[in-house]
Amino acid sequence: MNSLKDLRRVVNHASLGRFRFYVQLFSFVLLIYGGYLAINVGNQLPTFACLYSDLHGGACYLLGFQHQMATPWSQLFGGRGLAILIGLATFVAFFVVFNKAWCGFICPLGTLQDWLSSLRRKLNIRAAGYSEPVFQRLSKIKYVLLALLILIPMAIGNSFFGLPKLGHDWGVPFCMICPGRTILPLFTGDFSQLAIDFSSLAKLTLTALGLAITGLLIIGSLFKPRFFCLFCPMSALHYIFSRTGLLRLTKNGAKCTRCGNCFRACDMGIRAIADDLESKNIVKDDCMMCGKCIEVCPEDGCLQAKVLSLPVYESTAEGFFKRMNRKNNG
Amino acid sequence: MDDELKRRLLKTTRLHLAMEGEETLQRLREFSERPAAMEYFYTLFHQLANGAGPAAMAGERKIIATMCMQVPQELILAVGAHPLRLCSGANAYDQVGAEFMPAKSCPVIRATLGMLRVNQSLWGDTMAGIVVPTTCDQKKKACEELGDMGYPVYSLEMPAGKESDLARYYWQESVKQFAVDLEKMVGRRLTAAGLRQAIAKVGRAAALFRQLHGLRGNRPPIILGSDLFLVYNAYFFDDIERWSRAVEVLVAELEQRRQNGVRVTNRRAPRLLFTGSPPIFPNFKVPVLVEQSGGIIVVDESCSSTRLLSDSVAYDQASLNDMVPAVADRYLKPCTCPCLTPNQDRLRKLVAMADEFAVDGVVYQAFAGCLPYELERRQVNETLSERGIPMLYVETDYSPEDSGQLSTRVEAFIESIKARKRKQARQQS
Repeated sequence: MNSLKDLRRVVNHASLGRFRFYVQLFSFVLLIYGGYLAINVGNQLPTFACLYSDLHGGACYLLGFQHQMATPWSQLFGGRGLAILIGLATFVAFFVVFNKAWCGFICPLGTLQDWLSSLRRKLNIRAAGYSEPVFQRLSKIKYVLLALLILIPMAIGNSFFGLPKLGHDWGVPFCMICPGRTILPLFTGDFSQLAIDFSSLAKLTLTALGLAITGLLIIGSLFKPRFFCLFCPMSALHYIFSRTGLLRLTKNGAKCTRCGNCFRACDMGIRAIADDLESKNIVKDDCMMCGKCIEVCPEDGCLQAKVLSLPVYESTAEGFFKRMNRKNNG
Repeated sequence: MDDELKRRLLKTTRLHLAMEGEETLQRLREFSERPAAMEYFYTLFHQLANGAGPAAMAGERKIIATMCMQVPQELILAVGAHPLRLCSGANAYDQVGAEFMPAKSCPVIRATLGMLRVNQSLWGDTMAGIVVPTTCDQKKKACEELGDMGYPVYSLEMPAGKESDLARYYWQESVKQFAVDLEKMVGRRLTAAGLRQAIAKVGRAAALFRQLHGLRGNRPPIILGSDLFLVYNAYFFDDIERWSRAVEVLVAELEQRRQNGVRVTNRRAPRLLFTGSPPIFPNFKVPVLVEQSGGIIVVDESCSSTRLLSDSVAYDQASLNDMVPAVADRYLKPCTCPCLTPNQDRLRKLVAMADEFAVDGVVYQAFAGCLPYELERRQVNETLSERGIPMLYVETDYSPEDSGQLSTRVEAFIESIKARKRKQARQQS
């Protein structure tokens, strides 16, 4: 019993940030170069591991999902419908294990943005943020993108309101504008995704938009941490299933002093982490479960990362001062 | 003639101050089982009461004097100056202040201004400025009084609330401006390395404070609340590193006590939460009375004690553009000063403290003339009575005249809690 207590103490004193750095590095290598070792963990991952990158060790669910959404409705109740459900179930099964920590710990595009943030720190540039009203407005964009990446493929396979069906050049529209498609293959020396496709108006629009978004991501995340994540439709899709996650982030509002350390630390800029005193489950739609809020919270047991109901990492005063001391002297 | 009068006033004030200070220390010494590590603090206050000037604490450094607790200490330490909180608890100075301040003003302001009026010669060149945050109305007006006395006053603008983005932004900008002006006042640049070091110093003090805070809640109690008020009061003016060392020794001794089962009072003594207007040395009238009457203050919530070090700075990036706003946030976001509106956080904090420290009752001190605390009485009373926690509301000031009447009320309150506990114990058995 005592040894469990000691173990907990050691864990709570540790720097989650460093642990996260190595997990991110490992995941990045696995998902981008896994193919070299003939590793492939599947194509239903709830994260941006890109199928366009040849040596990928696992791939994003959204590509297949968009393909499936183009299924004509008449075929939905046959074998193809079952395939869609199996795909979704696989996605959810992967997702449930780590919940939104897929974003904070595994997503290669997220990792890349974190590396750009480290560069920003080295260059001594101040991090930018949004004011609350702007944040609220921008944070809805991801739902629009999610709706579009379902509706556009549907309009390929089906006719809406008697309108003509969309051409197949509109297929996988989100992948076409996703900066993961353009950037991640670069790490295996593949520059072909940087091209603009002039073969049709649809492809021209989407690939040009894709390149513009890529540029925005690189510049944006140099100033605003995790710039792209606020708009990510994967994060919106996650949020639908977030309550089923085994990994949880909880808050005990009674212990919160509203000092705002957590909000300051939050790369996503989620104000509710500091101001919400009611919710026990504090995983908001933009949360990536990086755990930075837990690290900077000086109140014992106020913020906790739990697997089911077992706390695995929690805020403690002792841990807070240990970490700040390392930071102040390091 | 005027000079002669001033000299005589200074002489009698000093004499009164020494008597007052010694009396408070004497009362604290009369309690049994005082920790040996408290001797450092008794000596410190003995020296202070007997005329040790602020320069003795500051050494060679320039002094940046402050009022209230919202002036960012980290910034002052970072430019190599000595932060010194002026707020006075001396009746002797209150008498001086009463000569030129309204009768209904708050004794903290009256005594502080009285002290600065009578001791003007004491400061000399060491004092680079007095920083007063715009908290309550009386502190705001104190800025003008001090300016007229010829002191270099800096009024640090603070918002009236803390909930909105606007308030946070306003305060951050205000603190940034203060950092720039502070450089001019002290004549030294604020650097990222200096600020990081200063944050580390205050962080160490805060870490020790937390340990002390945890230990004081021990059952049975191992240290008196009155003694702890002295420890926290010393943080007003003592060198922060020296203070930290002294507290470290005290923490070690208390840890020893906890293991050995040494206690300062009997197990059934009512455990009390002290809140309201700040007890500042030598005015420990109410806390000392409470503990003489058999209660024990196991936790407190005031700007002269736990509020000083409860919160800590966390920054992301060790650069000035991230650290200065981080420091600013520490002084506004978790602040529970009643000058803020709304101030729900104070109620929440009191409830959380009452739960964590398993208190039997609350003592609420309000200085006559301290309207914000007088006005919050109703909210606090209602919140506590919903939870069945009794509260004693005491309106008082720095004069010893109400001691007799106060002790009757305090004793009655403590007796009623004891009776209640006995009744509960009988019902349980």
